[in-house]
Amino acid sequence: MAGAAALVEADNANEIMARIETKSQKIESLLKHYKHVEALKTALDGSPLTTYDERCKSANWIVVHRAIMAIKDIDGMLNSLAAEYYDILMKYLYRGLSTGNEPTCEQCLIIHEKLIERAGLGCILRCLSDTNSV
Amino acid sequence: MAVVDVHRFAESITCHAWSPDHSMVALCPNNTQVHIYKSSSLDQWERLHVLQKHDQIVSGIDWSSKSNKIVSVSHDRNSYVWSLDGGEWVPTLVILRLNRAALCVQWSPKENKFAVGSGAKTVCICYYEQENNWWVSKLIRKRHESSVTSVAWHPNNILLATTSTDGKCRVFSTFIKGVDTKDSKAGSPAETKFGEQILQLDLSYSWAFGVKWSPSGNTLAYVGHSSMIYFVDDVGPSPLAQSVAFRDLPLRDVLFISEKMVIGVGYDSNPMVFAADDTGIWSFIRYIGEKKAASSNSSYSSQFSEAFGKFYGSQSKSATANDASESRGRVHDNCINSIVPLSKAGSPKVMRFSTSGLDGKVAIWDLENMEQELGNQF
Repeated sequence: MAGAAALVEADNANEIMARIETKSQKIESLLKHYKHVEALKTALDGSPLTTYDERCKSANWIVVHRAIMAIKDIDGMLNSLAAEYYDILMKYLYRGLSTGNEPTCEQCLIIHEKLIERAGLGCILRCLSDTNSV
Repeated sequence: MAVVDVHRFAESITCHAWSPDHSMVALCPNNTQVHIYKSSSLDQWERLHVLQKHDQIVSGIDWSSKSNKIVSVSHDRNSYVWSLDGGEWVPTLVILRLNRAALCVQWSPKENKFAVGSGAKTVCICYYEQENNWWVSKLIRKRHESSVTSVAWHPNNILLATTSTDGKCRVFSTFIKGVDTKDSKAGSPAETKFGEQILQLDLSYSWAFGVKWSPSGNTLAYVGHSSMIYFVDDVGPSPLAQSVAFRDLPLRDVLFISEKMVIGVGYDSNPMVFAADDTGIWSFIRYIGEKKAASSNSSYSSQFSEAFGKFYGSQSKSATANDASESRGRVHDNCINSIVPLSKAGSPKVMRFSTSGLDGKVAIWDLENMEQELGNQF
């Protein structure tokens, strides 16, 4: 039983890795065209929340990280980001803060402050209490 | 302002319940006792009785309105039913057969049973056996994977909804032969077996609290610790569930004030109003003290509410255009953990309710003049 589940996971994982590859290429091209918000949305879409595979999560994090670091106009970005992205973005911000890497943390902290203004403390609560991690 | 009366009874209040005529309140001041206070005039409260029987903190109190009995449950795994006998409250021990703390209690609508949720992952349904002159407890042992935090009776006196720290909300049948009469409309015999799980709702990832039924019993509402509130319409084989995320700190308890309006209370120390619009979609409307802001279905509306203004205060660069300058004048200083209706049981609308919290205050709210403000869902 457990073996079968693990097998399904592996297949799933490869699918997810493939998807993240394509996403990554799309994002690179979007960033070249200065479409930062689009890039972030694409990166956040289809995040592998329910899988256990660490490679998928790391791969997606790299892609999201790229999109987050490329953003210069944070207010503008948050203005055009739909509310359903707030919770998932908050999860990635915490992942960014946990890296300890200075430029990443700086960017994440700035976005965190502004995101809280819009989304409220409830957003942090949902991020902390959700068992599906990024 | 909707608040009619506020009084600080103790350092902290665990739970409270009102007498049938709403003149007396029974509360637990975060210790092993139940205190009964009577109000003689506005803000003049006199302590009439101290009920001391429990060895540990009293976690739940309910006062039945027809039979005038108080039931109290405690972390000491016991429960007492108190009856008024010649001016004194006389306790009757109810052996719950629990090996963990009792967390919550509620009398059933007909007041012939009461339900107790416990940390032993069980729910005790207690009923009175006339022949032996004592209260018997029947346990629902299955299904719950963790502590049962809250229980709520459906108006039909048989269905019971429970929430648990495993995040799930479940509905059980508590049909007891000899206590509940078989109603041919109520459903097939298979459905009415005691302890039978009718429905399990898996909407929350985090602890669930505060479940309540709407006045007709058609809708369920409960809260999750992740700042979410869940509404389930048409509870039955094909329920319609909605999860509403909101801005601020999580809620602890809810109350239906009408079929389509719910008040939630919790860590923000300020009651929140939720309502369903004409299409049946539930959303956050406002805090109870605020002026109604521009209506919007999304809970992440772009209005700069006072909630964020309080945390960012002078640092906020954006101009808070509307009423942030108006002091909110919050009633409670700390988490509100209980909300109790003060209207006649079974009436479709609740015009008055009371809240109690960790700040030791009990506040009475009246919605008499707020019908206009609250809109047509009330």
